[in-house]
Amino acid sequence: MGELFRQYWIPALLAEELPENDCPPVRVKLLSERMVAFRDSEGRYGLVDEFCAHRGASLWFGRNEGSGLRCPYHGWKYDVTGQCVEVPSEADNSSFCQNVQLTSYPLVKIGDVLWTYMGDAATQPPLPEFEWIHVPAEQTYTSKRWQQCNWLQAFEGGIDSSHVTFLHSGGLKTDPLFRGAKGNEYNMNDTKPFFEVADSDGGLFVGARRNAEEGKYYWRITPYVMPAFTMVPPRGDHPVHGHFWVPIDDENCWTYSFDYHPVRALTETERQAMIDGHGVHSKNIPGTYRPVANMDNDYLIDREAQKRGETYSGVAGIAMQDASLQESMGPIVDRTKERLVPADSGIIKARQKLRKAAVALRDEGVTPPGVDPEHHRVRSAAVVLPQAESFLDSCRDAVKVTPGVPQTTV
Amino acid sequence: MHVSESARAASAAESRFRIDVPIAPARAARVVALDERAASVARRLAERPWAHARFYTGGAADGLLHELDGTATPLEEALTGSDVVVVLATEDGGRATAAAIGRICGRRGITTAGVVLGDGFEADDAIAALRPYARVLLLSADESDTLELLTALRV
Ligand code: FES
Ligand SMILES: [Fe+2]
Repeated sequence: MGELFRQYWIPALLAEELPENDCPPVRVKLLSERMVAFRDSEGRYGLVDEFCAHRGASLWFGRNEGSGLRCPYHGWKYDVTGQCVEVPSEADNSSFCQNVQLTSYPLVKIGDVLWTYMGDAATQPPLPEFEWIHVPAEQTYTSKRWQQCNWLQAFEGGIDSSHVTFLHSGGLKTDPLFRGAKGNEYNMNDTKPFFEVADSDGGLFVGARRNAEEGKYYWRITPYVMPAFTMVPPRGDHPVHGHFWVPIDDENCWTYSFDYHPVRALTETERQAMIDGHGVHSKNIPGTYRPVANMDNDYLIDREAQKRGETYSGVAGIAMQDASLQESMGPIVDRTKERLVPADSGIIKARQKLRKAAVALRDEGVTPPGVDPEHHRVRSAAVVLPQAESFLDSCRDAVKVTPGVPQTTV
Repeated sequence: MHVSESARAASAAESRFRIDVPIAPARAARVVALDERAASVARRLAERPWAHARFYTGGAADGLLHELDGTATPLEEALTGSDVVVVLATEDGGRATAAAIGRICGRRGITTAGVVLGDGFEADDAIAALRPYARVLLLSADESDTLELLTALRV
């Protein structure tokens, strides 16, 4: 699965973590590799091995100055490609440092995210084209949070549409980034949705349908782009949100959560709500990406609020409602003990696609779905359709990115 | 030392203490292939070891289901005791049977899943035939999707 992830551009960190040239370097652990990210004097981004090639000191202590990162121990200096450019103990024009290069990966800012590609340079794909990172800055917001479990069980929550009516029922009524949409009524009135799961070029479309007015269905369409990108179907004119899950190691992952509007700026109120941890975002401990409510404080569970009907599980906030339960499964949930039901078909199919892609890559070198940036140009949609209509036929345009055209939503 | 009950409970060390009992197969499944191409998939799948799953072909005008050895069974009877029915189709020839299965399952509270094998206009017809009844519909599926679904449902 690690090899599979190395076929894709993945989020490495938020652009805000390296806010200016020569700012302090940041530790980054991805796909079980420890690295540091830094932004040099010319604004170039680098993602390199955390440990100095000399005696292994952490370059998190590095001095970021003069177009490179200098290990404070003996002064070896590296550029953003990991190339050693200075070894002070050597003769002035020694060629020694030319042969010293730290492992490094490209690091590119697109939208609010710094993306990396950790695979073979020879097969590096074109840059990602997800809509949320390409709309103007005032139309988009991205947050991230550390989640203490394997990425897959976190990701599976993103295509598990059947939990929304339970776990997030409180949020549908009260969350400033969810409430008020007509679609929410259909959601609440019909808690037994029907599901359709269809392949797409880059992954899947999962359609969930509920009864709407006489002769009509309310459809919510969730796209999945491999390996770990999902979008939540929109509600009214609220910004559209989604996630990208990135493995840190086998037992930890980053959840990137975004909100954007395809055709208008986010309002001040919306942006503030996102910063305050509403919607899919979390309120983090200042200066960190760890949620304020986390396993160490039992997620600040409030049984009284649960009794009063404000939250379904007692945990506040949609993001932490998900995270608390996913982490409660343990670092890597034992799937031999699951009892899946037909409503879990999206999860069943997504696992199968991941496994198939990993095997095809290993055995035949097949490029997996989702690498081609064309596959990124999908949208979620919410729509009311006559009962006879198929969501895929009717929504072909709605689930494609058309710049300047608003999302399809109820 | 963990600072909270949740942190300790979510640790790798504690995961070892999850009660380890074999999961009893909970599903009495019926797999019904509604046309000839679907039936060949069903036959291959039926050769695998399943807990309680029973495989049938149906879709003919007589309204009967046939076990894979040819034995005919009335629909009502074949579905008795079942709690999930997985219907396989490649076209809409089995529309009437699908509807009959849907009605019985609706009445008896049996969950239905539809697997539409292949794609193209014939498959579209199959989708339209199954859509009203299937709690879950897998579109443009193949044999391995069916296998995964049945395996995940532990039938
Ligand atoms: S009801 Fe789904 S995990 Fe418990
Ligand atoms: Fe959720």
